[in-house]
Amino acid sequence: MSSVPVLQVLALGAGASIQDLGRTGWKRFGIPPGGAMDADSARQANLLVGNEEGAPVIELLFTGARFRVLSAAELAITGADVESECPQWRNFHAETGQRISFERLRAGVWTYLAVQGGFAGPRWFGSASVDPRAGLGGMIQAGAQLHREKVQRVGGISSRFVPGLVRERFDDIPTLRVWSGPEWQYFPESVRALFLSESWLVSMQSDRAGYRLEGAALESGRSQMPSAPVAVGTVQVPPNGLPIVLLRDGPTVGGYPRLAILDPSAISRFTQCAPGTCVQFELVE
Amino acid sequence: MDDVQVSLFGPRALLIRFAEEVNRQSLARCRGLLRSLEENPLEGLDDVTPAYCSVLLEFRDSKRISAQLSKLDELLKSAQALPPEEAPLHEISVCYDGPDIEELARRNRLSVSDVAELHALPIYNVFLIGFSPGFPYLGPLDPRLHVPRLDSPRSRVPVGSVAIGGEHTGIYSVASPGGWWLIGRTDRELFSLSKAREAGSREAFLLRQGDLVKFQAVGDLPSLK
Repeated sequence: MSSVPVLQVLALGAGASIQDLGRTGWKRFGIPPGGAMDADSARQANLLVGNEEGAPVIELLFTGARFRVLSAAELAITGADVESECPQWRNFHAETGQRISFERLRAGVWTYLAVQGGFAGPRWFGSASVDPRAGLGGMIQAGAQLHREKVQRVGGISSRFVPGLVRERFDDIPTLRVWSGPEWQYFPESVRALFLSESWLVSMQSDRAGYRLEGAALESGRSQMPSAPVAVGTVQVPPNGLPIVLLRDGPTVGGYPRLAILDPSAISRFTQCAPGTCVQFELVE
Repeated sequence: MDDVQVSLFGPRALLIRFAEEVNRQSLARCRGLLRSLEENPLEGLDDVTPAYCSVLLEFRDSKRISAQLSKLDELLKSAQALPPEEAPLHEISVCYDGPDIEELARRNRLSVSDVAELHALPIYNVFLIGFSPGFPYLGPLDPRLHVPRLDSPRSRVPVGSVAIGGEHTGIYSVASPGGWWLIGRTDRELFSLSKAREAGSREAFLLRQGDLVKFQAVGDLPSLK
């Protein structure tokens, strides 16, 4: 398929990568699923420009990214609440030469930029998502030209938007649903109650592989076990007692007790909890 | 198979546990289940993650799980353990000149050549692929070579490093951070994107769970870049 240069990266900001909804079927070989951290927002961005929901988008971490439009395109921005001269949560037409920048971050972590046709990138193991450890896909560099897949005609889609009432705002303390994990019973009743009552602070030591949480240390009777499968949303508790929620680029197996499992519907919201903000959990009974 | 535990792992996944202890029998049962799943695919099953004595099945949505439960039950009853002896055997050349081999020898009261000999002697099982793409956890490892992980992990271990961590030995399939003791290196590629491109995604990986590995000590080897 042929592609067209659509954006030049003037400044990278805190980090940018191409992501789709990730890869399935390769965990048995140690390849994590990858994919957009806030998959819900990535899907919405694609739907706004008339793409399939899993088309490749640009994922931006925090702020500071600046782009120049190289050829007219239909774009949409979703995800974090970030100051930009461009509208968010609706499709818009961008002209050649136009600047797109992301300045102050009001709430959230990850911003998504979708283009009609989808961004072009090499596909490995069924996905265009970047995986730095495996060397899959290209990390976006400052100065790079980003391409989109060719479409029949730029535009030609009606004005679409996601109403404010139905979208997440990312500025509250969310209460996220969790299921008991395989090692739930390793933890005494009082420790499990603490996990469910504590306001957990998202640590600065968080990335696409997982978010660390800070709060009261959770002590279990056992700390090590043979490496066992984990998944996106698994809450594991290392010996220091501070939980780690594993995310899209995380390991496929782990040797720490799996206290809980984040409900799949809560994962996107959780990824938008910025370091220094709080989160609470409630158990699905 | 008897004494198998199946439990929900969140609303969209099932965890199948064979045994609490890691041994060749639990490995054979994991392999048997994987083989059965390949021959009789479950609808809506996205990912299968085998570990030492358990397998995680992740489904596209929660409805698929209930629809597939009885079929899974039949699979678990009929799946035969796959003994490791029938798995492919890979011979891998190793040059035992790693930066940690002397310290490991001293610590475990062995000579450097003892470490190399003990390490190259057995035929290992690939108990698990994980940590990095294609990274094998090999065992059982001679107890005389067991050593706790490094106090401070390296930020970058070169690809091809042959290493020991705890009760396991393994090969760094890509350059990555790592806390295992580096005792040697190989020039065999365990993860190759050029093979994936030429021959299909599956061919990116030299090893899969259950395969057998025998190391051959050699005097020198070119380094993988």
